[in-house]
Amino acid sequence: MSSQELQAPPFNPEQEESRLLDRCEQLVEMAVSGGAEEAEAFGTFSQVSCVSFEKGDLKMAQVDDGTSIGLRVFKNGKLGFTSTNQTEVSSLEEAARDACTLADFSVADEMNQLPEAHPLSQQTGSLVQAEVGSFGLEQVVECGREFVERTSARDPRIAIDKADAQASRISVAVHSTTGVHFSESDASIGLSVFGMAVDGDDVGGFDYWGGNVRDLSRLAALTDETIERFSDAVLGNLKAGAAESYTGPVLFSPAAFLSCFVSPVVSASSAIAVQRGRSALAGKLGEAFADSRLSITDDPTDLELSGAGCFDREGQPTTRFSLVEGGVLKSYLYNAYAAKVDKCESTGHASGGARSVPGLGPHAISVAAGSDGDQAAMLKALDRGLFVQRFSGTVDPASGDFSGVAKSARWVENGQVVRSLKETLISGNAFELLNRVGALSSTRELIFSSARAPFALIDGLSVTAG
Amino acid sequence: MTLRELPLKDLQDPTDLLNEVLTETGDEFVELRYHRKRTRSISVEKGRVDQAKISEHTGVGVRVLAQGTWGFASTDRFEKAAVRRALEAARSAAISSASARLNKTAPLPKVDLARGLFELPGTGELIARPLEESLDMVMRLESQARQASTSIQSAGCGYTEIFEEKGVVTSDGAKAWTRLVRPEFRISAVAQKDGEIQRGSESVGATGGWDCLFRNATAESLADKAAKRAVDLLSAGYPEGGRKKVLLSPSLVGLLTHEAVGHTVEADFVMSGSVAAGKLGTRVASDLVTLCDSGISEYYEGAGGSMMIDDEGVPTQNTVIVKDGILKSYLHDRESAAHFEVEPTGNARAWEYDNEPLIRMRNTFIAPGDSTLEEMIAGTEDGLLLDGPANGQADSNGEFMFGTHEAYQIKDGKLGPLMRGVNISGVAFDVLQTVDRVGKDFVWDLGSGHCGKGQPAKVDAGGPWLSCEVVVGGRGA
Repeated sequence: MSSQELQAPPFNPEQEESRLLDRCEQLVEMAVSGGAEEAEAFGTFSQVSCVSFEKGDLKMAQVDDGTSIGLRVFKNGKLGFTSTNQTEVSSLEEAARDACTLADFSVADEMNQLPEAHPLSQQTGSLVQAEVGSFGLEQVVECGREFVERTSARDPRIAIDKADAQASRISVAVHSTTGVHFSESDASIGLSVFGMAVDGDDVGGFDYWGGNVRDLSRLAALTDETIERFSDAVLGNLKAGAAESYTGPVLFSPAAFLSCFVSPVVSASSAIAVQRGRSALAGKLGEAFADSRLSITDDPTDLELSGAGCFDREGQPTTRFSLVEGGVLKSYLYNAYAAKVDKCESTGHASGGARSVPGLGPHAISVAAGSDGDQAAMLKALDRGLFVQRFSGTVDPASGDFSGVAKSARWVENGQVVRSLKETLISGNAFELLNRVGALSSTRELIFSSARAPFALIDGLSVTAG
Repeated sequence: MTLRELPLKDLQDPTDLLNEVLTETGDEFVELRYHRKRTRSISVEKGRVDQAKISEHTGVGVRVLAQGTWGFASTDRFEKAAVRRALEAARSAAISSASARLNKTAPLPKVDLARGLFELPGTGELIARPLEESLDMVMRLESQARQASTSIQSAGCGYTEIFEEKGVVTSDGAKAWTRLVRPEFRISAVAQKDGEIQRGSESVGATGGWDCLFRNATAESLADKAAKRAVDLLSAGYPEGGRKKVLLSPSLVGLLTHEAVGHTVEADFVMSGSVAAGKLGTRVASDLVTLCDSGISEYYEGAGGSMMIDDEGVPTQNTVIVKDGILKSYLHDRESAAHFEVEPTGNARAWEYDNEPLIRMRNTFIAPGDSTLEEMIAGTEDGLLLDGPANGQADSNGEFMFGTHEAYQIKDGKLGPLMRGVNISGVAFDVLQTVDRVGKDFVWDLGSGHCGKGQPAKVDAGGPWLSCEVVVGGRGA
C-alpha cells in the first residue's frame, strides 16, 4: 500500500453530510416499518488527527474516523432509543428493531412527541474553513512540537505531563418523521497542556489550559495564550503555603466564577429541573435573583466558542438567547419535551450526541463584562484575601451549595499576589452570594473555547485554611 | 416480543481474525485490540421514563511501535481488510511523526502475556434477565423514594448494564479474549422545605451479576436511604471547618486511596514528577496502612473495576503499593515497567476501542485492621464521622480533595446529630501518616464510579473505616 493510499481521504463536508443524512433517513424508515409512530435519527461523523506528548516528548500520533447514529422512536407515547457505530444495513435494522421493542415495554408519556421542523435562523456552512478542514497529520505534528517546545522553553521547572494537538472534522445530521432534515459540519484545531512545575523537592500543583480555533489565522494567538496561561499558573503554584481562614470577599478567575456561580444558574434554568422540583430558580421567572450587573447569554452564533452551531440535537434552530439580564431571569431553557410540558416552544436547547437521548443544556455561555477594570484592578479591589483561579469541588445544582478546594490559589496583600496557597477550601451558596457581587471585570477570558466570563469579586465566602 | 428475545450477538473469540492480520506484519511491535461494548440503560425521574436505551460501540484499535514511536488508528469494522487498513494507518502515523520523537521508545521487553479466554461471571445471567424486570424495578423504587416524605419533590432512579467483550493479540505473543458485565444502580431524591433544597443519593456498581450488585444492600434499602438523607439534610447544620480528626467510611476510604494515593503512583504521572517520584522504599504512611490496587476482587466477588487481563494482554494481579506504611510499587503498563525495570502490573486500560491504553487503577483499597467502628467512635475526643462519597480530585503535589454527603459530630467519644456534608482536603502522604486506627470490616463501595483521565475508566475502591486527620471545609471557619 502506498503512502498516498494511507492518508485519510480529505474531509468533504457536503459528501459526509449527504452520507449521514442518507443513513438517518434509512434508519427512520426502518423504524417506521417496525411500527414506530414517530422516529428521529441523529448521526455524527468525526475524523481526528491527533498527536500526544508526554514528559515533553512526542508520545503517539493517532488518526481516527468513525460514525455513530442514534435513533429515538415513540410508539403510543412510549420511548425507545438505540445507538450504534455499525452502519451496515443489518446493524441498522437491528438498531431499529431494538428501539421499537424498547418502546413496546416502556411507559407512556403524552409529552413524548417529536418537534416539528422550523427554518434555521443561521446559515449552515460557516464552521469549516478550507485550511482547517485539510489540516493534515504532519501539520498537527509540527504544530504540537512547536507548542510543547515553546512551553518547555519558558522555564526549566515546567514539567509537561501531557499535551495534545489535534485537528477535528465533524459532520452532524438529523432527520425525523416530523420534517426535520438538517446537517452541518465543523472543523477546528485544538491544543491542550496539563502539567506542573517542579523545583527540587518542591512539586507544585497541576494546572491545564487549552482551546480550539476554527480560523487558522488565530492558531498562533491560541498557542501564545495557552503557553502563557499554563506557564504562569504552574510556576505560580510553587512554594505554596497556608492561607488564612476567614469569611469575606474572594476574587474568582473567569474559570472559577463559571464553575461556582454560572454553572448552577444555568443548571437551575433548565425547564426540566424546574418542572421536576430540583431548581432553586423555580417560580423566579422575571424576578431579580442576582446582582444587577449579572447578564448571561447563550450565544451559538459566536464562532470563537466551540458550541457554535445552527441547530440543536433535535434539529431546532439555535439563536442568541438571553438567559439572565441585569440580574433578572429572562427565560428557562427548553428542549421539545420540556416545551411540551409547559405548552410553549423549544428554545433550541436540546443537547447531547448520537449515543444518548437528547438532553437539555446550553451551547455557548457568555457572561457580560462588568466595568471594574482588568485583573490587576480586581486584585486591588480585593485588597487582601484569596484569589481562586480554578475550583475543584462539589457544586449542587439544585441548592446552589458549593464546597471544594481553591486551586492555583493565591494570597493577596495590598492588591498584589504575595504567595501561592495549598489546602485552602472555600464554600458558599451560589444563589445567595450572587447578590453579594463586589466587582466584575471589564475584561473577559475565553475558557477552553467553551465560554466567556469576567473576573468576579464576591463577598461572603467561607475560606478554610489547612 | 420481549427483550429476552433481544440477544446480544453470539459471543465469539475475536482473536483468530486479529491473528490472521497480525501474521502479515513486519518487525514492528503491533497490538490489535477488539472491543465490543453494548450498554442497556433505563432511567426514570418523577414517574417519567427519560431513558430506555441500547447502544453499541464496537471496533478495533491498533497500536504500532515503529521507528521508536507509537502510532494509533482504529476502525469500526471488524473485518480483515478494515483492520489491515487501520494497521497501515497506525504504522504510517508512527513513521510520519517519528522525527519529532526525541527519545525513541526501545522495543518492549518480553513479559508473560495472556492466552485464551478469561471470563468473569454474570454476563449470561444479565443477558437472560428481561429488561422489563429492570424497568419495573426502577419505576417502583423511584416511586418509593418520591413518596417517602411529603418534603420530597422528585426522585430519579437508573439501572445500566455494560457488557464488554475484548480480544487482544500482539506481535510478541498475547492472544487472549475476555468478557464481563458491569451493572450499576443509582437512586436519588430531592427534598424541599421553605425554599431550601437538599439531595440524597445512593449508587452501587459491580463486575458480575445481580447478587454482586446488591450484595451489601437491597435496592429497596438504597431507595429508603437516599430519601431519608435528602429529608434529614434539610434540617442539618453546617460543621465548622478546620483541621480535624475524622472517621472515614469505607466508601470515603476508597476515595482517599484512589484520589490521594492512587493517581500519584500511576507511573506515567510519577515520570512527570508527581509527589511519589523517588519515594519507593520510604515511609509514606503510618505502619497501620497497607494499600493495594488489584485486578482481582479481593475479599469477596464483584468489585466494579475487576479485570483478569489488561488491554495490553498482561494478566492482572494484586499490586501492593504501600506495605505497612512503606511505598513499595507504582502502577505500570508495559512501557513504564520497562523504564523502571520491573514487571508490568496489568494497569493498561482503554475505555473504548478508539482510545489508547493508559495507566489506570482497577480496584484500589486499604487492607483491614483490627478495630471496630464502635471502638473508633469511642476513641475520638473531638472530630467528625463522614460518609457518602461525592466527586474527588488529586493533584501532582499530593493535595487531594473529595466531597462527602453527610457528617456527624463526635464529642467525647459520642456520636452527635447529622450535619451537612463537607469537602475535605489534605496532602496524601501527610494524611496517611496520621492514620491511627483501621477498622476490621472491609467493603467495596465505589463500584458505580468512573475515574477520569482524558478518558473514563470503571474503577472500584474501598476498605474498612479509618481514623485520620484532614482539613475540613465547613462554614463559619
